[in-house]
Amino acid sequence: MSWKRIHAAWFGIHFFLIAAVCLAGVFWLIAQGSTILPSACNEYARKAELAATWCLGKEAGASNPLRRGIATYLHAAGIQAGYSFFAPNVPTQHRLTLELFYDDGRVEYESPRVRSKGAALRLESLLDRLPDQRYEPVRETLVKMLAFSVWREHPDVKKLRATFGSVNPPDIIEFEQGKTETFQPMFSFDFSLREEQRH
Amino acid sequence: MQSVVKSPESQISAGLSLLQKCWQHFLGFLFQPENDTWLAVLRIGLGLQVAVYALFLRSDWHYLFASSGKGLVGREVGEAITSFDSPLIPTFGWLVALGRNFNMSEETVLTVGWVCLLSAGLFLLLGLLCRPAAIAAWFVHLCAAESGGLLAYGADVFMTTALFYLMLSPLPDRYSFDQWVTKTKRRNPQLLGFWRRVLQVHLCFVYFIGGLAKCLGSGWWDGSNLWRSLIRPPFTVVPPDLLVRFKYALPVLGIAICLLEVSYPIFIWIKKTRFVWLVCILAMHAAIGLLMGLYLFALVMIVMNIAAFAVPSANTTALRRSTSSDRQ
Repeated sequence: MSWKRIHAAWFGIHFFLIAAVCLAGVFWLIAQGSTILPSACNEYARKAELAATWCLGKEAGASNPLRRGIATYLHAAGIQAGYSFFAPNVPTQHRLTLELFYDDGRVEYESPRVRSKGAALRLESLLDRLPDQRYEPVRETLVKMLAFSVWREHPDVKKLRATFGSVNPPDIIEFEQGKTETFQPMFSFDFSLREEQRH
Repeated sequence: MQSVVKSPESQISAGLSLLQKCWQHFLGFLFQPENDTWLAVLRIGLGLQVAVYALFLRSDWHYLFASSGKGLVGREVGEAITSFDSPLIPTFGWLVALGRNFNMSEETVLTVGWVCLLSAGLFLLLGLLCRPAAIAAWFVHLCAAESGGLLAYGADVFMTTALFYLMLSPLPDRYSFDQWVTKTKRRNPQLLGFWRRVLQVHLCFVYFIGGLAKCLGSGWWDGSNLWRSLIRPPFTVVPPDLLVRFKYALPVLGIAICLLEVSYPIFIWIKKTRFVWLVCILAMHAAIGLLMGLYLFALVMIVMNIAAFAVPSANTTALRRSTSSDRQ
């Protein structure tokens, strides 16, 4: 009988954590004002999100053993993120365009590339994360790395400009009227490779 | 009319017996005896999933998981973000550090990791060394998902969860090669039932939360989210010109998806509606796979749903009898 109690206790804790993660995700969406709920709900949602994240130990210090233990378990079980894929709305697509400036004055346009379609999905996933506030501290580093991955294939490039922006597709009526997608630049970085890195 | 006033003691004992009854019902729900057919489906399905995952990423494996200066963005950024959550979460960085002790280069370690993952998938498919294969598949996939954290998407999350449950389930099942060779004792049907319940309840959470979040977005009620998701590169499999012809069907499909997902935790448990809900959910995932090119995501969801709800439940009376005769 004791093995049943142990399993039942694990079941309770496991699904409590899943519920907390999922609710934190939903309340975060409401608090951001990205849902059809009235804006009066945003403040309550923010408080509810805090309560849910408190259950996950996220309010404790970064080195707190309980917080680390919970985080390790969540990642090991693949339950660290909620299940609001493509919700409440399909996220905006993003694009990184790289302008390659050569010594002879030529300018070429490139984008980071991968070989397989499976990896292309992952690259899209990375680009969609870049505008997120949470990734702001690593944004420039990531763009630099992506730019460098292209630079490696064009070693004679003198300077490189990376422009990141959102791609707004036409809605169904606009598409019927012949409109195409529009590109809205969000930020850009200029990179130049030091002489010693070229060789 | 006479009213009966109960003493506080009798009220407490009535409350306790009600609690006891609820607890017994809960245990009955959790430990409903099952045979291992569902586990065989989960093992074979995940074996296929892991093998396909490894083969899909074969050409980009080193490019995605190499360190800075060699790969796409370098795995260090993803690993740093992961280690901020907890330094105890496994990553490829661990394996590369371990490999250094044996004079193995990063490239060799990554190649060994890929071969391990593919082999684990094939072993699971055949049912050979089921438990070690499940643990290896979970571990290497987790390293890949965490090292490439910024490159991960929904399919990775569900693969980690499914492999986590498979690894803890009472393997091997009777259809595995292990069982054929070793002829081990039959697994406890109640334990098999418990792990199936875990998978079932997990799927209920997934669809309810997914459906609820979709219901909160205006775009799912007017079909614009379906349009946006289908014309969004790299998911563009169907030409937009063809989609326009079905523009009146998009709002209906959008609402149907919301309702199907949010009501899944109710109708999947009712015997009369289970088949319809399951077929609709499987059709939805098949459509996601075919129309958006999200093959890995579709496959893992189909495998989990079939293992959880499509495989018929065992004859519980016969299983209970066999369990008690085993004990005697």
